[in-house]
Amino acid sequence: MRAYLNTMNNPWRVFDELLTDFPIEFFNTAWRARTGRFPRVNVWEGEKGLVLEAEVPGVDPDKLDMSVDSNVLTLKGERTQSDGSPAEFQRSFNLPFELDSANITAAAKNGVLTVSIPRKAAAEKRKIAIEKL
Amino acid sequence: MSLLKDNNEAKKLNRLEVTPVSRVAETRDALTLTVELPGVGEGETELTLENRTLSIKAENTVQSFTDYTLMLTEIPEVCYRASFDLPERVDTAGIKAASRNGLLVLTLPKREEVKPRRIEIAAG
Repeated sequence: MRAYLNTMNNPWRVFDELLTDFPIEFFNTAWRARTGRFPRVNVWEGEKGLVLEAEVPGVDPDKLDMSVDSNVLTLKGERTQSDGSPAEFQRSFNLPFELDSANITAAAKNGVLTVSIPRKAAAEKRKIAIEKL
Repeated sequence: MSLLKDNNEAKKLNRLEVTPVSRVAETRDALTLTVELPGVGEGETELTLENRTLSIKAENTVQSFTDYTLMLTEIPEVCYRASFDLPERVDTAGIKAASRNGLLVLTLPKREEVKPRRIEIAAG
């Protein structure tokens, strides 16, 4: 009854309660589980190519290994787990186009790696003659 | 509940609050607390010490690129928040903080042990 009366006095109370009861810890855990892959990334696609941002806190940029095989980009390295022990990580991305692997640039700042990958210039269209048999 | 003054304020409030990944290591002279804060620029971390509670608050910067479309989003804009109750053996005056590669490394020196001492008895 009291709760009801309070609601009458202050209709916003409902929302306050929603916020107070919000199981933030649960969502923290859920958020971690969902994004359990390492590193987490944001991938941007444009006409020029692709930009990939990866969170690699504590990973020495010199020890990050990045390789490209046709349209698969692989990030490899070693990181420190939350218990302090080292762990190897590897993550590959299947990209929607062929990459110009010679012109990939990467920079790391504040534990975030930014990789920009240009598209491979489209191969010239070639007409194929069909022989009559 | 007051109306928000501007959009920026709303954006800040809308950030998801998360507890950063952290770990503690102990050596003979100090405790080392490492907190992962990727995407947080230098000088953008708020460190406060109140009594023996050390609080960390930081917001990450997620870059966006014009003429590009976001295809995969795994890095949200968040507000990192954590607080640690420091044990008695830590000398709070000597705390040092450094950041490197998205890690905040706090060195918490141990206090000089209170050594037992001899108490002289004055002759009555």
